[in-house]
Amino acid sequence: MRSFLLKRSSLRPLLISQNPKPPNPVFHTSQSNSTYIYGSTIRDWMSSNGYSQINKYSNGYDRFVANSISTRCFSSQGAAVDEQQPKSSDGLTVDRIVSSGWAILEEGEGDWKSHAAAIAQSIQLIKRRLQWRKLMVRLEMLSVELNKPNIWDDPVHAGNISREHGSLLGKMKGVNGFERELLEHIDMLKLAKEENDAELELESMKALLNMRRSVKEKELEALLAGEQDPCSCFIEVQAGAGGTESMDWASMIMNMYKMWANNRGYKVTVVDEMAGEIAGIKRATIKVDGEYAFGYAKAEVGVHRLVRISPFDSGKRRHTSFAAVAVIPILGGSSSHFQINESDLRIERFRAGGAGGQHVNTTESAVRIIHIPTGVTATCQNERSQHQNKAMAMAVLQSRLDQLEMARQAQLNAQHTQSLTDISWGNQIRTYVLHPYRMVKDLRTNYEVSDPDSVLEGDIDGFILSFLSASLDKDEDNS
Amino acid sequence: MGETESDTGKTDKTIFNTEETRFVVISWERWVEIASEVGQGNKMVRICFSSSIRQTLYPSARFVKYLQKPLPTKSSSSSSSSFSTTPLFLRPPIHSASFPDLKNWQDWAKHLALSVGPKFVEADNGPDADLLCRELKWLLQDAVVDDENDAGFVKLRADLEEMYALWTQRIEERRPFQYLVGCEHWRDLVLCVQEGVLIPRPETEHIVDMVEEVICEDEGMREGLWVDLGTGSGALAVGIGRMLGDGGRLIATDLSPVAGSVTAFNVRRYGLQDKVDVRLGSWFEPLQDVNGKPVGLVSNPPYIPGDHIFGLQAEVARHEPRIALDGGENGMDALLHLCEGAATLMKPGGFFALETNGEKQPEFLVDFMTSKMKGRFRDVRVVSDFAGVQRFVSGFCC
Repeated sequence: MRSFLLKRSSLRPLLISQNPKPPNPVFHTSQSNSTYIYGSTIRDWMSSNGYSQINKYSNGYDRFVANSISTRCFSSQGAAVDEQQPKSSDGLTVDRIVSSGWAILEEGEGDWKSHAAAIAQSIQLIKRRLQWRKLMVRLEMLSVELNKPNIWDDPVHAGNISREHGSLLGKMKGVNGFERELLEHIDMLKLAKEENDAELELESMKALLNMRRSVKEKELEALLAGEQDPCSCFIEVQAGAGGTESMDWASMIMNMYKMWANNRGYKVTVVDEMAGEIAGIKRATIKVDGEYAFGYAKAEVGVHRLVRISPFDSGKRRHTSFAAVAVIPILGGSSSHFQINESDLRIERFRAGGAGGQHVNTTESAVRIIHIPTGVTATCQNERSQHQNKAMAMAVLQSRLDQLEMARQAQLNAQHTQSLTDISWGNQIRTYVLHPYRMVKDLRTNYEVSDPDSVLEGDIDGFILSFLSASLDKDEDNS
Repeated sequence: MGETESDTGKTDKTIFNTEETRFVVISWERWVEIASEVGQGNKMVRICFSSSIRQTLYPSARFVKYLQKPLPTKSSSSSSSSFSTTPLFLRPPIHSASFPDLKNWQDWAKHLALSVGPKFVEADNGPDADLLCRELKWLLQDAVVDDENDAGFVKLRADLEEMYALWTQRIEERRPFQYLVGCEHWRDLVLCVQEGVLIPRPETEHIVDMVEEVICEDEGMREGLWVDLGTGSGALAVGIGRMLGDGGRLIATDLSPVAGSVTAFNVRRYGLQDKVDVRLGSWFEPLQDVNGKPVGLVSNPPYIPGDHIFGLQAEVARHEPRIALDGGENGMDALLHLCEGAATLMKPGGFFALETNGEKQPEFLVDFMTSKMKGRFRDVRVVSDFAGVQRFVSGFCC
């Protein structure tokens, strides 16, 4: 209790006070019953929206939803949030609705309380996924920064600050809007009941139900609220030590991503691929074009481990191999790019040696670009003209340098230190066992699936979503 | 099975015989012979690969199905058009194959490519297995039409038999990949090519960059007349033609009628027919009427010393037109002719860029232009390609 109060008071000066009423924290325990029902509805919603695989693993998914909710009920009760929450005419707040423990029933049944409770829980989940408290702190810091009189001395910096401020403010206003909307609907309903206005009551119920549905969709969007999440990305797979077996594993992993991306409707382009001598790939880079490609794919960064009887081992022994995955966002036009000086580049091509020109006819037109100051390189060999290979290699180089720059910025900026975009090559994230039993298990979330084939065919959304939710929960707890 | 005399008196190994058809295994040379007869319409010949039988055969053996009776002329003309010169990616997807059959083809082709190993590299610096595998991917890219509606079947722009024939030509004849598919990706263009036309090289892409630089510095150049001598497939003509303004024109010349028609095709494909004029003739001959007008001249003339040609990789030496490669005894014949002609043809202040073999030629040319033809050119310099080879000579006329 004491530590909680300490935290609250230390946060208070930083907050934008919209509703300066005295804090009124309410403590409660989680209601396992409503949580369970909630868990099943999110699953139903997901399956009706194409995330059918989650049904198959309902137990695991329920568990993580249940976990995230029971912890959430405590942490998001923070006074910092409560302080500025919109209230209904009789003092009802979103947190109060959640804590009243109204049963959440299916959409088709139940009264307004069921809808209201469902919406309130969604709003809390969204807040949590947006890392609400961090967002508020960051927003205040940005406001302070923006109000400095000399801010526009550095227009690039000022532009970045003002863009981030705008984007965070938008998110905050969005959530506050939901809170107000919910309470307005409730007020309206109560009013309608008092006045015995059946038409108004029906209308308000309808509005509440619509809101319940739309907020549900926002839950998923909130998982991908990061600045770079909407970007396209490059996915790189690198075979670990262990020769042909691990090169084969690297190509299996790459295939998994290609199929995943195809299923999601993303456009996949192979940028660079270095084949193994006997089978598989030593490394490969693909470009995945589409909305939120980075937001999802970033969950795959790390080392993937395979255990199986190697088809390349005549002794039929069990092998363990590794493949490392990196994901690099392709920043859109509005973002600030790392400035590349032409003179810092060395461009190499891989054409057969010798005279070149008319002497040689080869379709080999691979290009490697080296950024001399940083030593960062990019290779492209899969386009059919040298010109295009160079353009693609430049795009890869730009993204790598952008990422390097982001990492540098992140070190300056404590808020990002736990950023998902950090590449941690040493980090083993998932194990795929094909023998002696069959299972794929994520070591970060403990999410597991007993059908490796479907996973290797690109069915990885369950892993991605569970990781995204879990990692946001973890971040919030640490804050 | 048995040895039988074919109509032409050559021996083929017959393995299956019916009243209408005869299946034989033949050598590659024999296949070329027979294939050339197809055009004459006297006999229907199809390469025939059954996936189950094929795998038991040495991959270089071709199964051929002779139709003993000549087919009606209509069919035989359609069979010759299936070996037409229309680039693969522009043909209509009128063929189809089942997934397993196509997969069989791919496995076979990959196996064939991998069996090459470093053999070609060691022999004449030709393609290695990796590169061949990439070409295989591109061949599929050009031949297969993505159509998800037709489950189980894939729409193709060439039938599987031709696909087998094409890939065999690639590996065993070293026929250049670009001739196989009838196109070359060059800069951001897809240029159609065929036998008889030099396949544009990536080095030459840089000439377009050089011209772009000049045009950006002097916008007047954008509206002037440019010439591309010995245009080949029309790569430079199309590349530069696209940068010209409304008033800009380009004349592309070539001695070879094949090159002329291929260039005209490419020019039309990029909608440049109003800007780019294609003329047949040797170097400056077709340009008499524009003397003194061109503001820019580019050329990638033949520059390989004549006696080097046979030592080149098989794709070049055996398949590309010698007329586009052979620059005479020291490779300088055309280059020197161009230097002399440029001085009189071009408008003062006009820009030129020539490609050379990257050895002693550029140095020699610069020396020639600044001493022997003193006063005719300025700012003559050697420009490297991006492999660092001193590839181009550029400058301005006085």
